[in-house]
Amino acid sequence: MQAGIGTEHDLLLQQKKKNLNKKRLDTWLLLLPTLGIFIFFFLLPLFFLFITSFKNFDASTGVGNEWTLQNYIKFMSDPFYLGVVWRTVKIALLTTLITIMISYPVAFQISRSKGRTRNYLTLLVLSPLLISMVIRCYGWVILLSNNGVVNNTLLKLGWIDQPLTLLYTELSVVIGMVHVLFPYMVLSIMGSLEKIDPSVIRASQNLGASSFRTFFSILLPLTLPGVFAGSVMVFSLSVSSFVTPAILGGPQVKVMSYLTYEQVAVMLNWPYGGAIGFLLILIATITIIAYSKILARSEKGVAIQ
Amino acid sequence: MSYLSLENVVKTFNKTEVVKKLSLDIQKGELVSFLGPSGCGKTTTLNMIAGFLEVDGGKIEVDGKPVHLLPPNKREMGMVFQNYALFPHMTVFDNVAYGLKLRKVPKNEINKRVLEALEMVRLAGYEKRYPKELSGGQQQRVSLARALVIKPKVLLLDEPLSNLDAKLRQEMREEIVDIQKQVGITTIFVTHDQEEALAISDRIAVMYEGRIEQVDDPASIYNHPKTDFVSQFIGEVNHIQGKVLETYENKKCKLHFFGNEQIVSVPSVKNSEVHFFIRPEKIQIALAESNERNEAFQTKVERKMFLGAKTRYILKVHDRHLIADISNTVLNPTEIKEGNSVYTYWNPEDLLPSRMAR
Repeated sequence: MQAGIGTEHDLLLQQKKKNLNKKRLDTWLLLLPTLGIFIFFFLLPLFFLFITSFKNFDASTGVGNEWTLQNYIKFMSDPFYLGVVWRTVKIALLTTLITIMISYPVAFQISRSKGRTRNYLTLLVLSPLLISMVIRCYGWVILLSNNGVVNNTLLKLGWIDQPLTLLYTELSVVIGMVHVLFPYMVLSIMGSLEKIDPSVIRASQNLGASSFRTFFSILLPLTLPGVFAGSVMVFSLSVSSFVTPAILGGPQVKVMSYLTYEQVAVMLNWPYGGAIGFLLILIATITIIAYSKILARSEKGVAIQ
Repeated sequence: MSYLSLENVVKTFNKTEVVKKLSLDIQKGELVSFLGPSGCGKTTTLNMIAGFLEVDGGKIEVDGKPVHLLPPNKREMGMVFQNYALFPHMTVFDNVAYGLKLRKVPKNEINKRVLEALEMVRLAGYEKRYPKELSGGQQQRVSLARALVIKPKVLLLDEPLSNLDAKLRQEMREEIVDIQKQVGITTIFVTHDQEEALAISDRIAVMYEGRIEQVDDPASIYNHPKTDFVSQFIGEVNHIQGKVLETYENKKCKLHFFGNEQIVSVPSVKNSEVHFFIRPEKIQIALAESNERNEAFQTKVERKMFLGAKTRYILKVHDRHLIADISNTVLNPTEIKEGNSVYTYWNPEDLLPSRMAR
């Protein structure tokens, strides 16, 4: 009798194990197509580029067979290239900061509105994503160029005597970048704003806090995860963006992605282009990790949430 | 002189009045419940008192001073929310200390008062926890401590127990009353649970469709409901109608119902038909007829439900159903079987007159 129960128990265990294995298989099966594409068309080429970045290069013979650190050393020891790194990071940080500041009020307003207004506002915010990046950038060129709309208007108003240099500056790159990337920030902040229970805001007011105080003590700390997620997206997209700086900055405002493009497509120096590309990845990763560390330290409770 | 007074308070949403000229006076230290079905305006009224909603008419006074134009952060009212509304990114200590910090209370006094408040709700030792690490009941206690620590003029409780399970709800409501009496704070308790309201209130304001139907102590609300809504909403009732046979001078009349005649007092007789309510526990049944119960009539037991301390009998008479709840110590339920004929009677004084004009 007891032996019978024993085998039944074993059978049950076996069945459970089988089910578990099947579940694991299911998980992998669902991920397989994406994973395949990811590995073969992203990780593998990246890996080859990584290897290439340690090869020597000769303008007449192309990529050589010798292993070298020269590509990295060349980049890190040249003040011009380091200036490009600094400019790239500066533009990305500035873009992130400005996006946070203009996105937060928008996200707040949308999260408070209802029904149709909400749909229209969301559509308005998403609209930059619906237009091709190139077209949108040329739109800014029309606005910002020396005889563009902005300069012409200012000249006609008599506010300036000569056209301002707006295009092909860091400013124009940041403007274009903010325009493209702020939807990501708005959506991200909206997500965390909507998770906040409205009665928490009421509780704060009830306890005597002004709206101002409630914002800084309750609303902002509780939405920091959203601000963080948005910042990571905006920062990594802007630090690696190519089209916007290429059109609105041109050769005057060289950023790292532009350098990479130059090396790979114009000079055909794949090893050097690869090295620049990897340094870009490294810089972006370090910045994001540092940023998340600072945030985690400032708000323990949110992390626990 | 009342401490908190509402005078002709009106609230309109999209042209419909959800609170209609509501007036109520609450004494200092009193616990008044707002009781009513959902949509009766009880939470709306509470939110107007707290300042989360503007009043569209009338005024609200606390201690003789009008407050209805003040923003919520200037009203000095402590509120406990249905879903606790604790600040998730703050520890229990910081949650309770929040209101004190805003009032610029010195640090050592904050410490002292927070610890006292936590002790009062029996949560000493939980200062460093985060709300997510507490059970629902504990979160509600923190919420209560947070509301009381600022020594508000009025404590507002918005269905504070509805997210707790039945057993905890009973414990918590007793605790809330204990603390309320201990602090002596004027309190408004919003609930849709009549048992809760009956158990804890000094007075109950029964609300329906934006109006207060009756304000009274729990026993009066239950035993002497002033409107049909109150009779039907508080407790259960059987609805009976009788034909007027004869009317007498002292507001009494002889009625005919269920093939039986009875003399009862009626506030006013206009029609030939009169409607009454009677509570299930006021109906008596017996197997044998006795001389004293000459006003008894015969019914048939259609169903019998054992409910622990009492038994519920569904009685059928003249195609109508009557529900009778009878204590098992008064009548052994095994004596009566489904299908039995029983003598049914009640004390005419227990009939609640209805204003129903059908």
